[in-house]
Amino acid sequence: MLEWIPRGLHRGIVTTAYPRRPEEAPPGFRGRVALRGDEPASAELEAVCPTGAIRSTGGRVSLDRGRCILCSACVAADPSRFEFEPEYETAARRRGALIVNDSERAPGELRRTLAQQSRTLRRSIHVRHVDAGSDGAEEWEISALTNPFYDMQRLGLFFTLSPRHADILLVTGGVTRPMETPLLRAFEVMPHPKAVVAAGTDACSGGLATGVGGVAGGVDEVLPVDVYVPGSPPSPIALLHGLLLAAGVVTREAAA
Amino acid sequence: MTAGSTIPAGEAHEFLDGRFRAVREPAPPGEQRLLLPIGVVDRAAALLLERRARFVAMFLRPERSLAVAFAVRGQLVALQASVDRTSSFPSLALLSPAFRLPERELHDLHGIVPLGHPDLASVLDPDPDHLRRRVEGEGTFLIPYGPIRSGVFESIQHVIETGGEDVLALGVRPYFKRRGLESRFDGLTPGDGATVAERVAGIASVAHACAFTHAVERALGVEPSPRAQLWRVVHAELERIANHLDVATRLAEDAGLSVGVARFGILKEQVMRLRARLCGSRFGRGVVVPGGISAEPLLSTTEIRSILNELERDLRRDRKLLLRTPSFTDRLIGSGTLEPITVDAYAGIGPVARGSGIPTDARFERPYGAYRRLGFRIATAEDGDAMARLEVRFDEIRESIHLIRQALERDAKEEDEPAAELPAATGAAFGWAEAPMGELVYWVEVAEGRLQTVRISSPSLRNWPVFAAAFRGDVLTDFSFIEHSFGLTPAGADR
Amino acid sequence: MNGVFAAALLVLCGAAGLALIRPHLAMGAAAVGSAVLCAVGVVSAGGWSDARVDLGTWLGFGPSALVADRLSGIFLALVGGTAAAVSVALAERPTRRAAATLHVLVVLALAAVLGADQAFVFFLAWETLSVCLYILGSLGRDRPAALAAAYFASAVNKVGGAAILAAFALLYGQTGSFEFSDWQQAAPGLGTTHDVAFVLLLVGFGTKIGLLPFQVPLPGLYQAAPAATAATIAVAFNAGFYGLWRLVYGTLAPASLWWGELLVMVGGLGAIAGILYAVVQDDVKRFLGFSSVEHGGIALVGLGVALIGQSANKPELAAAGLLAATLHVIMHGIAKAGAFLGAQNVAEATGERTTGPLGGLATRLPGTALGFGLAVLTLAALPPFGGFVSEWFTLEALLQGFRLKNSDAQLFMALGGAMVALTAGIALLAFARLFGGIFLGRPRRRLEPEPETRRGGIGFVAFGVTLLFLGAAAPWEIRWLGKGLSGVLGFDPAETTIRHPLVLGPVYKDFSVLSPTWLTLAIPTFLVAAALLVRVLLKPPVRRAPVWLSGTAPDIAAVQYTPEGYANPIRVVLAGLYGFRRTIQPEGGGRQPERLALSTRVVPAFEHYLYEPLVAAGLRLSGFSRRLQSGRLGLYLLYVLLVLLGALAMIPALRH
Repeated sequence: MLEWIPRGLHRGIVTTAYPRRPEEAPPGFRGRVALRGDEPASAELEAVCPTGAIRSTGGRVSLDRGRCILCSACVAADPSRFEFEPEYETAARRRGALIVNDSERAPGELRRTLAQQSRTLRRSIHVRHVDAGSDGAEEWEISALTNPFYDMQRLGLFFTLSPRHADILLVTGGVTRPMETPLLRAFEVMPHPKAVVAAGTDACSGGLATGVGGVAGGVDEVLPVDVYVPGSPPSPIALLHGLLLAAGVVTREAAA
Repeated sequence: MTAGSTIPAGEAHEFLDGRFRAVREPAPPGEQRLLLPIGVVDRAAALLLERRARFVAMFLRPERSLAVAFAVRGQLVALQASVDRTSSFPSLALLSPAFRLPERELHDLHGIVPLGHPDLASVLDPDPDHLRRRVEGEGTFLIPYGPIRSGVFESIQHVIETGGEDVLALGVRPYFKRRGLESRFDGLTPGDGATVAERVAGIASVAHACAFTHAVERALGVEPSPRAQLWRVVHAELERIANHLDVATRLAEDAGLSVGVARFGILKEQVMRLRARLCGSRFGRGVVVPGGISAEPLLSTTEIRSILNELERDLRRDRKLLLRTPSFTDRLIGSGTLEPITVDAYAGIGPVARGSGIPTDARFERPYGAYRRLGFRIATAEDGDAMARLEVRFDEIRESIHLIRQALERDAKEEDEPAAELPAATGAAFGWAEAPMGELVYWVEVAEGRLQTVRISSPSLRNWPVFAAAFRGDVLTDFSFIEHSFGLTPAGADR
Repeated sequence: MNGVFAAALLVLCGAAGLALIRPHLAMGAAAVGSAVLCAVGVVSAGGWSDARVDLGTWLGFGPSALVADRLSGIFLALVGGTAAAVSVALAERPTRRAAATLHVLVVLALAAVLGADQAFVFFLAWETLSVCLYILGSLGRDRPAALAAAYFASAVNKVGGAAILAAFALLYGQTGSFEFSDWQQAAPGLGTTHDVAFVLLLVGFGTKIGLLPFQVPLPGLYQAAPAATAATIAVAFNAGFYGLWRLVYGTLAPASLWWGELLVMVGGLGAIAGILYAVVQDDVKRFLGFSSVEHGGIALVGLGVALIGQSANKPELAAAGLLAATLHVIMHGIAKAGAFLGAQNVAEATGERTTGPLGGLATRLPGTALGFGLAVLTLAALPPFGGFVSEWFTLEALLQGFRLKNSDAQLFMALGGAMVALTAGIALLAFARLFGGIFLGRPRRRLEPEPETRRGGIGFVAFGVTLLFLGAAAPWEIRWLGKGLSGVLGFDPAETTIRHPLVLGPVYKDFSVLSPTWLTLAIPTFLVAAALLVRVLLKPPVRRAPVWLSGTAPDIAAVQYTPEGYANPIRVVLAGLYGFRRTIQPEGGGRQPERLALSTRVVPAFEHYLYEPLVAAGLRLSGFSRRLQSGRLGLYLLYVLLVLLGALAMIPALRH
């Protein structure tokens, strides 16, 4: 057993300094899709996107990152307009803030953060994760938050086994029919104040599965969502960003 | 290699034809399709199973044609029969428990009745509150574990029947997160289909993309460039390494070995970061496309090699230390022991089967892509317990690193070619890949360049019943060790 | 006092007769008589006044009397008090005439056993008691198992009776007297007879209290007893302790060292065996029966320490052991009788005798739940209850081993301490299982329990309050007990035991202290204070949310721990000891793979390896003797001649 001690020390500190210092994504990282220029486009551009994230109303192109699954179909179809950005901080508190070049100006609901609701909830925020129908990749990224690279405990964030102890409900996946009731139960037994974070594009909008089987849409069809973290799956830093936004520890949202 | 198949490759047709007047449907190489009358499907399946064929998939093709696929040495043999008139077929569930879940799925989806099936309760839309009791006896009770489980896990419900402490029986209830993705493929282009396939099981994105594109390419008669095949191997093997390291991390966590958790967590994260730097996605998404690969690797082979060397060195020492830690090994040795006969009966695959000494591996049984040219050994262990499965995974990581090195070496010699163009043709074929959880098989039918039918036989779904059968005198505290040693993903099973 | 004692006995005699006609009225009379007996006991044990009822010489074995002296006063108080409570409970419910009569006869026989001043009266009363218990056990004629259990118990009791008779005959042969006081004077010079008499008396009284290996029939007898009369049997249990106290400790003094060592070991093993069997019992009465065996074992450990002290000439050690053991007998005598009544209440309300289908009865039977719960806390030896005080005393007495010079005795006492501690640990689990299985959670099967009667509820609440009071008032009880035990000890141990009006120590000064009174005040105070602190200072908003069960809301009864499940880990860990095996098989030989049948098997070790071979040997022997009974006159005459010749041959041998 003692041999584990030097083994644990030999790598030194690998932990990121995020959010104190921004974390740089490697070049070429598919953090999110950027929409360049505003030349008008034909309505056929919409068909490029398998999840309907691209809208073209009267030639004005908008991109809903809450629907974007980072599949590169648009980047391949129109590289001058669409481009991957190596961006980690993708979370936003309003659904509308995820839509680039929003033509309908739908800001969405802005809910109070945990810090605004309670003065006692500054540190030691407990997170309960619920998989409502993800593809499993989100779970890997969420569990990565406890590894030494991200070490979310240093920020006072902890995973808890029971929703009865949870302050934040971290939901992944569009809500399938059998998971709807369990998800609602988890939300119900959480004490007040509580926040819901939709992790991943599937949780934000239902993603690819919307409409085909039992997935009606995103988590906000079932629960009030405080923070949206798009991405397929969102990177661990994006998830951390989302959790800290919900807690009210950071206020900087994803830039448009 | 399925343990000692007695049918020489290519003779399944003649063998069954003599008895049942099977009609052969043309199929790409490595695959046989035999049309049979519906009434003899069970006898034909029994004969195949007697000759040590392994059940692979059961699904409905268009025009209500039932297909049951078996792996017979180096071949996939699909028995096909029309259920259009009968809407029922003789159940195969009494031949092998491996057929139970697929038949119930068919029954739920299409209303086709497997006659003689012991239990046709609905599975696809599970009610978490309705728990079924299988064990009758003094003092037994149920523990519903899931769908929302204790930890960051995917949703699945395990109904544990216990008399206190010991697990008497285990009911695995998948399908809580069934998104209906098989029908999502309908009408898409093969390119968009790959995007969907990548999101069936996120932690096996590359394997799903490979199996799907393999099926599409076979159906349309396209061969990707040798270089694309090599890079597919690199991504698939990196995915395997990440999965196996994930299992090691979880097992260390179950044993409360926090430094071990941190160490293996670091190793896994390094692999994920390597994948992100290589292609922009931590899960290798968007790389494998029908006809080839989509983009150039973003890292030089030298960089990949040096990262792998460091990883291998660290892993060797961590593995040695982990397997020398008694508080860890004590929990794994003898937990969830699977006899080879049980694995065979349930048609278990992947590291689960290999941990019980059954050397089944799609990369070896029916080599595909660059695996036809690369050398590797199938890792197996004999004990069949959680420890054996972990050892298999560690050995496989070593073999995967070895495979990646070979691929990088050969890559230097290959010409750069763009992805092959797909003809807007019609065709149907099986495609496969060895996912980290085991053999993954896609059935794809393309009509004039559009996907018509896609069926997925996922290793997770096929191994869940094996997991339920692994509990023999194990106690509640062994549960997470046994589950994590299986390394399955509910998303892949539920689809 | 003499008149009061006589009056109590007369009232009981009257009640016995009346019970054949008007059982309810008779039970009331019995309650009054028993209560008076209790008062007589309290007064005589306290040394304020002795009571004596002369029986004259009409029995033909010299002058005899029923005497309530200090030692018998203690037991009279215990028996009278518990019998009064049981009589009240019997008066409250429909009771069969025969059962009511036998209940009163048992109390009378007990009074005679406790009061007897000479061996003949004692034995007569003892045998009456055994016969009454046998008939009581076999009243459940409709259940063959009950009949067999009662027969088995009475057979073992017969062995005990024979051992006592042999001991008495031996002592009479050596002293020429049936008087206990004569035996006591002659005891120091008895030599080997002394040790033989000890063994015989130990076996004799041990059969009544479930001494290892005679514990086997006891739980069955409790189970067989109809309705609330199981509590009567629990009361009768005390006669065995009295016999050991009076005749072994008080009369055969001074003890040999090995007596005490033997008792510590046999008692400790008996306690462990008792609780290990109790924890896996599903039948409530059997459970309580095995727990009686456990408590008998612990009391014997205390008596063993006392005997070691006596033989090592350390009166303080003897006092520590005897005080602990006596307090243990009293506390458990009271709690056990109440627990049996509670179990009966549950059985009557639900029609269930086993814990398996029960659960969640606390809401339907709140009074019973409170009384039973406090009894269980006493039996599980949790502070601040009396059971805790007595087990603490027992352990403290065992810890005094270092004062001995003999290293064997030190070792045995240390082992005894370990066994008592282990027993206490498992007892906690066992009683948690018992109480939780019956009263907490939800019913496991659809039950429609009848609500308890108002009076029944009040009775159980009163019983619970009594138990709480007995724990809190332990210093005063020990003052009284010290006076009572001074009769056999020769000094009053309470003087050194009570360090301060409310603080106790284990007879020896400056060893350790305990204040059950302060605990009784402090534990509830802290609980209330913590609750107030949260409610008043933090004022958390309260919102009721459903139980969290992994996101499911199944039928709670199907997913809650069963009592068997709760004890199963112990059963699995000690599978070898229990002979436990279980198999799980598909129903219908594999055609129905979706349904599995679980079968469990436990081999009761003592029955299997001790009693069954004994019974088999007995049957073989009787088969052999049947062959001797040919029916031919000539052969019988030959037997007579042979016996005569043998007897004649013995005369010169004995004369030597």
